[in-house]
Amino acid sequence: MTTVLSVDALAKTYRSPGRTVEAVRDLTFDIGRGEFVCVVGPSGAGKTTLLRCIAGLMPGTGGSIHLDGTAVTAPPAGMAVVFQEYGRSLFPWLTVRRNVELPLAEKGVPRPARRARVDEALDAVGLSDSGNAHPWQLSGGMQQRVAIARAIAYEPSVLLMDEPFAAVDAQTRAELEDLIRALWHRLGITVLFVTHDIDESVYLGQRVLVLSRSPTEILADLPIDLPAARDQLTTRASPRFTALRAQVYTLIQRAKAGER
Amino acid sequence: MRRPLLGAAGLLVVMALLEALPRAGLVDGRFLPPFGTTARALGAQLATGGFWTVLGQTARGWALGLALAMVAGVVAGMVIGSVPVLRAATASTIEFLRPIPSVALIPLVVLVYGSRPESALVLVVYAAFWQVLIQVLYGAADVDPVVRDTARSYRFSRWGTLRTVVWPTVLPYAATGFRLAAAVALILEITAELVIGVPGLGHAIGVAQSSGAVAETYALVIVVGLIGVVVNLSARAVERRVLRWHTSVRRDL
Amino acid sequence: MIRRLGLPAVLIGVWWLLSAGSTSFFWPPLSVIARTFPATWTLDPILHDVLPSLARLALGYTIALLAGVTLGVAIGSSATLRACCEPALEFFRAIPPPVLIPVIALFAGYTGWTSKIITIALGCLWPILLNTVDGVRAVDEVLRDTARSYRFGRLAVLRHVVLRGAAPRIVTGARQALSLGVILMVISEMFGADRGLGAAVVQFQRGFAIPQMWTGIILLGLLGVALSALFHLAERRLFAWRSDS
Repeated sequence: MTTVLSVDALAKTYRSPGRTVEAVRDLTFDIGRGEFVCVVGPSGAGKTTLLRCIAGLMPGTGGSIHLDGTAVTAPPAGMAVVFQEYGRSLFPWLTVRRNVELPLAEKGVPRPARRARVDEALDAVGLSDSGNAHPWQLSGGMQQRVAIARAIAYEPSVLLMDEPFAAVDAQTRAELEDLIRALWHRLGITVLFVTHDIDESVYLGQRVLVLSRSPTEILADLPIDLPAARDQLTTRASPRFTALRAQVYTLIQRAKAGER
Repeated sequence: MRRPLLGAAGLLVVMALLEALPRAGLVDGRFLPPFGTTARALGAQLATGGFWTVLGQTARGWALGLALAMVAGVVAGMVIGSVPVLRAATASTIEFLRPIPSVALIPLVVLVYGSRPESALVLVVYAAFWQVLIQVLYGAADVDPVVRDTARSYRFSRWGTLRTVVWPTVLPYAATGFRLAAAVALILEITAELVIGVPGLGHAIGVAQSSGAVAETYALVIVVGLIGVVVNLSARAVERRVLRWHTSVRRDL
Repeated sequence: MIRRLGLPAVLIGVWWLLSAGSTSFFWPPLSVIARTFPATWTLDPILHDVLPSLARLALGYTIALLAGVTLGVAIGSSATLRACCEPALEFFRAIPPPVLIPVIALFAGYTGWTSKIITIALGCLWPILLNTVDGVRAVDEVLRDTARSYRFGRLAVLRHVVLRGAAPRIVTGARQALSLGVILMVISEMFGADRGLGAAVVQFQRGFAIPQMWTGIILLGLLGVALSALFHLAERRLFAWRSDS
């Protein structure tokens, strides 16, 4: 498996006059093409810092990040981010279609190809009929689908997701989890999924990276050996799921206690 | 700590420019004297008794007009706002009357009052009244219907409802109205003095300008600006005090 | 529509009735004013007073809009620049705009178009500028991050994120500026003894042509109402995405 994303000794210290906060101390991991990796950690584990560094939105203060072999210093072309705040990451004055299309237009994709990709992406998230609606006319879950459609239409090497389902209700959340699993399966994309939800990380990922408390390091890199076909009922009820869940839970408890 | 320093630096740059531009001959010094000259003229003004008289006239006109507009605006707003029939009937009228420019009344007040302070007062009250009224109406519309129904089910009197239910909701809006009205009132007071010749700072500016006292003109403009700053800052402070407990999202018009 | 105009119609009716038998010099019957109106505002004053006034307003307002939004975006986008400018802006904003008239009159007297357009433009500038600064500051951080992560160019960020995000505040500023612009249009003409709507009304008053003066006041009122309706229309178009369309 070829490596797509490689994070090497990443560190981030926030400095302001009279105050220094070491948020991330040493993070090193690789993600292979087509992998689905979840990052989970206790609250305040520097998850958002990590994600913003990888997305190129914020420079690290040490170490390096490479996407497809190129160092990340600014938002790279091969990355798309789905933010937690779906309501705020969509352009409220653009229709759903235009929201998905705009990044493609900015990328210079010609109009006919753009149109086909938007149709495909909206279809994939089940929003073919809502293309002409404005975001405020959609429910929260549907808004997050738009953000996901926008990200997959962009055809990134890596799809970054920052607690994307933290702000939707439980039922919608289950639906969206299955949607993202299905998309990953069908499109063969690479996903880095940040969450604070232990169940979600085990249910979604092929690997779970458990972060320590801040200043962050990697506490464990856990393969999730559940079958590829997953389902909210049977998977979550399986003994293996329960065991993995318990394992991650214990790790998080240890992380909270300050182990690194 | 950085922000006040940068702000002071910005002000210094403006003053330096005002000093340098006429000195370098980029702007004709007859029209824009160097800042130092203006500052000296300002100092000389402060030492005269006439200046303080004029300042007092402006302040009195402004305060009286603002007070009348506040009272009229709050009373009218509370009455209209708490009687549904009136509210429905006036909604469009107010949208209709508000854009009528206050200065359209200038010829009329000149006819009736000439250049007496009453002329300015009418304009100030008219212009400031709308600002207050509209905000108070927003406030009255914002009264929680459940609270209103509760008051009714306990058979509060009309007056009791106004005092204990409507007024607390309206108060923060009235504070916003006060801030907006304070600025508008000053504009109209100065305008009336300048255009009609009502005694006050605006009139003094007009006299200084037409008599060719250039530095004095600028000095008085600076004074008026400073008064404006004081009015804005203190009105905002009043508003913040009243708004402290009020968290709902409001539209500022 | 009937409901919208209902009460104004009633008010006009009341005015009509109350003033019907008026013999007061200052308050002529509304019927007299109404009869004077078409005779006063014929083609000549419309061409030589009203339209030039409106043209000056339009020019000054447009200049203020362009300059205010441009400067506002620049100042709003940089925290350092904002900190530098804030106290100075606070001062200039606090100067009542009519005071600009004597200052501008110092430079070139107060006749002709330029001085009046400058007055209107300078007066309208501050509300637009300050509201734009606030609007740009308030643009959602997540939206900015989204645009950055999709590698939007500077121009695209300006067009799709900054200007659109700041639009509600810019419109608020533009609305405040419009009513200020009308005021300045009128008094700039009262100050400089030229032609124009404001000058015409003052001339009627000085000549004690009271019914004519009243028609001027009414015309100014109608103008204010019409401009505000026009603005409302433009606003609805701009924010059509907010409602079902």
